[in-house]
Amino acid sequence: MRFKASIQNINTFTKLTASLNSLGPLAWVKLSDDQVCFTIIPEQGTQVWAVLSIDSIFDTYTVQSAANNVINLEVPLAALNRALKSAWNATSAQIRLTKKDGMPLLALTIVTASSSSHAGFPTATAEDDLDDVYDQPFGRGSRETTITQEVPIRVLAHETVAGLHEPQCREPDVHIILPPLLQLKSISDRFTKLALVGKSTSTSAAPRTRLELSANMHGCLRLSIRTDAMNISSVWTDLNNPELDPGQVEGIEEHPSTRMKQLGSADGRSEEGWATVRIDARDWSKVMSVGRLGGRVIACFCHEFALILYVYLPSDSGEEESVLTVGSSGDGFYSLPSWRS
Amino acid sequence: MVVLNFTLIPEAAAKVHDLLVCLGKFSETVAIEARQERFTFTALNSSKSAYAALTLDGDQFFSSYECIPSQGGPDGRFTCSMSTRALLSVFKGKLYDPLGRDGAIDRCEVSVQDRPDETQCRFIVKMHCNQGVVKTYKLTYEAVEVMHALFDRNAAYNRWTIHSSAMRDYIEYFSPRTELLDIFAGEDGNSAVFKSYTEKITSGKDVLKNPLATAVAVNTSDFDSFSVDPGLHIIINVKDFKAIVLHADTLKTELRAYYSQPTRPLQFSYGSDGLLCEFTLMTSGDYNASKAPSAVPRQAHIETAPRPRPTATEARESRRMQPEMPQPVAPASQSASRRVPGSRKESSQASQNGSASLFVRQDEEDAQWEPVDYNNEEETLGWDASAEHDPATFQTFRDTASRARTQKAESNEGVAPTQRISQIKGLW
Repeated sequence: MRFKASIQNINTFTKLTASLNSLGPLAWVKLSDDQVCFTIIPEQGTQVWAVLSIDSIFDTYTVQSAANNVINLEVPLAALNRALKSAWNATSAQIRLTKKDGMPLLALTIVTASSSSHAGFPTATAEDDLDDVYDQPFGRGSRETTITQEVPIRVLAHETVAGLHEPQCREPDVHIILPPLLQLKSISDRFTKLALVGKSTSTSAAPRTRLELSANMHGCLRLSIRTDAMNISSVWTDLNNPELDPGQVEGIEEHPSTRMKQLGSADGRSEEGWATVRIDARDWSKVMSVGRLGGRVIACFCHEFALILYVYLPSDSGEEESVLTVGSSGDGFYSLPSWRS
Repeated sequence: MVVLNFTLIPEAAAKVHDLLVCLGKFSETVAIEARQERFTFTALNSSKSAYAALTLDGDQFFSSYECIPSQGGPDGRFTCSMSTRALLSVFKGKLYDPLGRDGAIDRCEVSVQDRPDETQCRFIVKMHCNQGVVKTYKLTYEAVEVMHALFDRNAAYNRWTIHSSAMRDYIEYFSPRTELLDIFAGEDGNSAVFKSYTEKITSGKDVLKNPLATAVAVNTSDFDSFSVDPGLHIIINVKDFKAIVLHADTLKTELRAYYSQPTRPLQFSYGSDGLLCEFTLMTSGDYNASKAPSAVPRQAHIETAPRPRPTATEARESRRMQPEMPQPVAPASQSASRRVPGSRKESSQASQNGSASLFVRQDEEDAQWEPVDYNNEEETLGWDASAEHDPATFQTFRDTASRARTQKAESNEGVAPTQRISQIKGLW
């Protein structure tokens, strides 16, 4: 069993692990010849099914195993994220599967440019500064510091993960591109705080605060929260409802979203045509953490049933191949649809 | 009756804050020893594996300093111990602020009220703030005997010196939950490896709860000096090390390490502008693994060592070195009241020849993406008034290895155990 790769896109990988870590402490990672999958299935809350193309993160990637060159690992996300953070301004970073004292681990070897510039400058007087400028390229520069971070992991047998499948869900009633997630997050966090005012937040017995999220097929998104004392909502308009790709989705005329298009209006004032889901506010705040990846997010609403977010990783080539599927609220999920680009 | 009065300028008061923060990581109580010439904070941790002595020079550190111990003449001393948190709540952060914003002071006057005609003994701190506001704090203290850990630098032939900011960058890689630090000198003599790790938990799912093991391999040329037996491992507590490095970094000074072999104490030393910090730490490691060094290189080393003379000469030496000393650096408490590992203010970053600090931008950006913890009550800081601290934490302890050599000195009745080795050097 061998796995070795150099990390080409440290930034993306770090943000990805940080986002996933908000949703659960452990991820199942499936390494295969053509893709890397991260799966998080917490006991309750939001599931994540992330599929990444190799070259969105890695470079010179080799994976070998007796099971069709597939390796399944259980990885603690906080440790992996911390390890990746130390590669923040690295000149190179490599990750490999190894064993130490019989314990499997992912070893990250990070090479950073030497911090030799520290040696003189803080204590240097004005004249010394000049000398330093000349000294560094020749005398003290060009050295490297190597950092090795060892992430403890578990290797999972093929049978353990064989039964794992992305949940199926009915076709969504509404699909919409979300506004910037930072905006959405700060508003929903604010709503949640307001709803919690005066409640004893420490008792776990307190009823869970639920946000109500609705969208229609005319570019409107509505976020609201209702308590005994208040009812606040915020409405976005002029958002984009992406078109379904007729080549990939059969029977567009029969698709629920086509029907929803007949209802409602673009100013968001009509009471018709909304698909609504209710989400645990804390869970939503965690989900919004994926915004740090900066990708396009399509939300799919199955009315009163489930909300699925598709997060597309931005890539250099302009193609958006890697997708994170984040399912929230309710018990059902559905398979990956295709969107006309 | 003791007389102890001193005055601190805001920069010095901020440094007292910084050093109390550091000592607070070792012990809940800090002991004070005032002599005619100098003022020393000491702390010993509960497991007695780490001892800190931070000495403030009477002339250099204070704008005025007067100490007349009640007895003992020129060698007399005034000693007491106090709660570190109580002192910290007086020496808050942001005491020094050139713009005179909230919390900034004009000067700080400290005196000890310990007279037979007064009913109360108090440690009195007066903070003179702007607009003539004077805040007076009266702290209780406990009379204790202050002991010092003895460390024989002549025996500690393994030494290195590195700038604290470089070391600070390295410790930022360490996982916060690790316990031990292995300092390893490469076999080839060109590298030093600092490895933070935890004794493994090997059962079942708990394996994944192990914190990251981090090894930072540093080229020895990144050190200002490095002279350690090749292949020597020495293990100390990583939290102690982090506390020391973070404090040394507030002074922007060089950090020096002195040690001999595993199971023998190790000392870190640094200081500037009349402040000398010495930390003596217990070490562990495989005693047999270290090669017995031949006498020749050891001898050679002592001759070439940057500072072979023991500590008593330190103050004099640093005064002599003053012309080369750096400009006083603004204390950390001014630029960032609360240092989160990995975050650093942009301003200090800019001054570092463009060397971007670790993680900074990311962390700042990251915070807004973190899920909100609605249960998080606002942090409150108080101090423990229960007076349950063990007053008897101060005892003499020393490196047993050097006992053979100091036996003669010990048997000499006239020498107090608290004297520095240099002072009794003439006796043997």
